Amino acid sequence: MATSTTSTVYIQVIEDVINKVREEFVNNGGPGEDVLKELQGTWEARMIQAGVIIGPIERTGAPKPALGGAAAPVHDLNVPYEGSEEYETPTAEMLFPPTPIQTPLPGTADSSMYNIPTGPSDYPTPGSDTSGGGGGNNNEAKTGRPSPFMQPPSPWMSQRPPLDVNVAYVEGRDELDRGTPHQPTTQDFFTLSGKRKREEFASQYHPGGFIPQQDGAGDAASEVFEIELSGGSTSLGGHGILTTANKEVVAHVARSCSKIPQLDGPIPDPYDDVLSTPNIYNNYQGVFNEDYNIANTPAPNDQPAGTPAPVVQNDVAEDDDDEPPLNENDDDDLDDVDEVEEQNTQHLVLAQFDKVTRTKSRWKCSLKDGIMHINNKDILFNKATGEFEF
Amino acid sequence: MATFELYRRSTIGMCLTDTLDEMVQNGTLRPELAFQVLVQFDKSMTEALENQVKSKVTIKGHLHTYRFCDNVWTFILQNATFKHEECQENVGRVKIVACDSKLLTQ
Repeated sequence: MATSTTSTVYIQVIEDVINKVREEFVNNGGPGEDVLKELQGTWEARMIQAGVIIGPIERTGAPKPALGGAAAPVHDLNVPYEGSEEYETPTAEMLFPPTPIQTPLPGTADSSMYNIPTGPSDYPTPGSDTSGGGGGNNNEAKTGRPSPFMQPPSPWMSQRPPLDVNVAYVEGRDELDRGTPHQPTTQDFFTLSGKRKREEFASQYHPGGFIPQQDGAGDAASEVFEIELSGGSTSLGGHGILTTANKEVVAHVARSCSKIPQLDGPIPDPYDDVLSTPNIYNNYQGVFNEDYNIANTPAPNDQPAGTPAPVVQNDVAEDDDDEPPLNENDDDDLDDVDEVEEQNTQHLVLAQFDKVTRTKSRWKCSLKDGIMHINNKDILFNKATGEFEF
Repeated sequence: MATFELYRRSTIGMCLTDTLDEMVQNGTLRPELAFQVLVQFDKSMTEALENQVKSKVTIKGHLHTYRFCDNVWTFILQNATFKHEECQENVGRVKIVACDSKLLTQ
């Protein structure tokens, strides 16, 4: 509660302000006396609500009838319960009937009806969540890759039903698209005879003695593929040297080996793991996340197994996003904590200072004309002296 | 007469500001007029504190933070004690904002 003197001073300040702005309100095309009354009434009502004015306000003179106009808002703010409770119950009942409408059977009801009440954030959570993260990948999947081996979409690709909901599927398609264009090429090579392949290599190799790039960015991959080469396609193994393009071809030859009945000797299990697409990803992703490798070690060779890998890949990317480099936002967090604390305590002194001195860690200050809001009380002071220990 | 906008942050000032905001948003009040009311409040509040308030307060406490910027002192006290007439208030954390009184007399 307010001390009586504070309340008195506040009331006098309100009256003083109202009286001194009255001219502006009434004359010069101002909004008029009624608006001024409304201002005063609402202001006082808020003050009573805040507990810094002890109501009822005793008027010292003419403004007393003026309160009549403002009586309604004052009353509303202080005694809101009786009136509103009567209205609240039917209002709540009015609000409830839409609920059965909101939950029809998904099959029978119009989907738009179903979506409107729940809102986009509730119902299509998987879609909306993934659309942000998977959108780029989705586009990527659609645009495809400018691979030299790119060919018109194979019938096998068009057979796949459209997948649009789950990011895992989108990623999986992305994954598959990477392999798909190569597949016919791979099969073409397979139909070729071993002799023909030798000629091809020779033609690339001998003219001018130019050796296509072998030590570029593809080195890491080539290790994998060379293992495949020696293990899987024995017909090519004798050459020993591969162009980058041929490495890819060989990779896909080898990859297709996992699907084609085994004809040229046993393939060891670890070799299978190397061949499967998700595990090739593992080789790249292992740098970032060991857990990911552990989780995907038993990934099988069949194509749906490609889905977990990109999901984890996303996680890795998000982890990177979660820890941006230090910037000014890091400081803001601390400030916010401070502000929250200050707002929670809400103890505030507003004053003017005459003098502030310090002797070592002892601070002395003399303040005047202050308003203190402490422990939910408003206290006014004419003078204050402070002694603080830093 | 120079005034501080300092006291607008007090309870009475916030109540007035909220009221004016509401009325301006309703369209009942022109923003310029609302501003005039605020300026008048600055004057009236300062006058009232000078002329009507006679009480004295002593403040003690641990000074956690001090800041002097743009002629405004800001102190954050911890475990502060306010003695006001015969009653005493203790708070764990309080902020003191003080403008230079000499700016008003100029």
